[in-house]
Amino acid sequence: MADEVAVQEFLTTDKQKAFDYDFFKMAPAYVDWDTVDYEKVHEGERVYEVEAEDLVDYAQSMQDDLPLFSDPEAAEQGPFGGLIAHPIFLTPIGFWITGEKGPLSWVRTPGAINPGQVIEYYEPIRPGDTIRARTRFHDKWIKRGKRYLTFNTEYFNQNETLVAKWWITLILPRSKGQQAHQF
Amino acid sequence: MENLTFGGIELGTELPKFVRQVDQRSINGNAVALLDYNPIHINPAWAREVNLLGQGTTIAHGMTTFSYMTSALTQWCYPSGGFITRLESKFVQPVRPGDTITCGGVVSELHPRQKGQGFVVVELSAENQRGETVGVCKAHVRLPE
Repeated sequence: MADEVAVQEFLTTDKQKAFDYDFFKMAPAYVDWDTVDYEKVHEGERVYEVEAEDLVDYAQSMQDDLPLFSDPEAAEQGPFGGLIAHPIFLTPIGFWITGEKGPLSWVRTPGAINPGQVIEYYEPIRPGDTIRARTRFHDKWIKRGKRYLTFNTEYFNQNETLVAKWWITLILPRSKGQQAHQF
Repeated sequence: MENLTFGGIELGTELPKFVRQVDQRSINGNAVALLDYNPIHINPAWAREVNLLGQGTTIAHGMTTFSYMTSALTQWCYPSGGFITRLESKFVQPVRPGDTITCGGVVSELHPRQKGQGFVVVELSAENQRGETVGVCKAHVRLPE
């Protein structure tokens, strides 16, 4: 059916199979624009243990055939000496670490719109890495009637090396769920 | 493939195009890959009811447009050992099922630094099949000497 939510057939990796894809279910627990905490520094709800299958599946789903992202043997001969993550692979890392009701749960808000993102990278992410995140409020504002929210998240690997920093921005609806974006 | 170096790059260098088609099936697959299951992407009935950005359709993830623009860059420079150090994107039009997205870029700045730290700025853009810009991105890319 055209209206069917049909994601099950794409669930490939262990993390994808373990992740709850119903963003409505925990919506009442999501942090919202009005009540965001300005001061607190939040550690992620869990860590992301990077496996080769995670990187390969991402590259294939995003139709990127560069061997560095999806072919371990070819990548070994490349300039990075092995498989690395596509830069935007930071997205599933972010959603995984956030969990269902953590301080960044507002990124799951139904009807949230992505106006643009800023990311800095310091080290490539590789299979075997364990990534954790630390997040804090950065800014919120209203422009043309729309409510923007930005958090800054720093991602560290198992060596406590900063691998990336992401200023995550979304336009959030005034209310949750079905009343999205009734400005 | 050409071996890119910082010293060999000229202002105005154009990247090869990265072209991908978007349909509801690819959006569903991207939702799984991104772990982003916002119903505006994967739930056509909800998208029609909310009619968030007009036309009552689902929209593709901004992060997919971002990923495509980034792929135009990584396909160009990562085989030579280039490394993206900064990405700043804006998504200016929704991408909908049925769209064809073409991403390209041009080198707009050269930043000489100490050995191995020189970087270039690449202005990337993504257009749909009507020639409308759907996303832009300013990227910093460190290149080998």
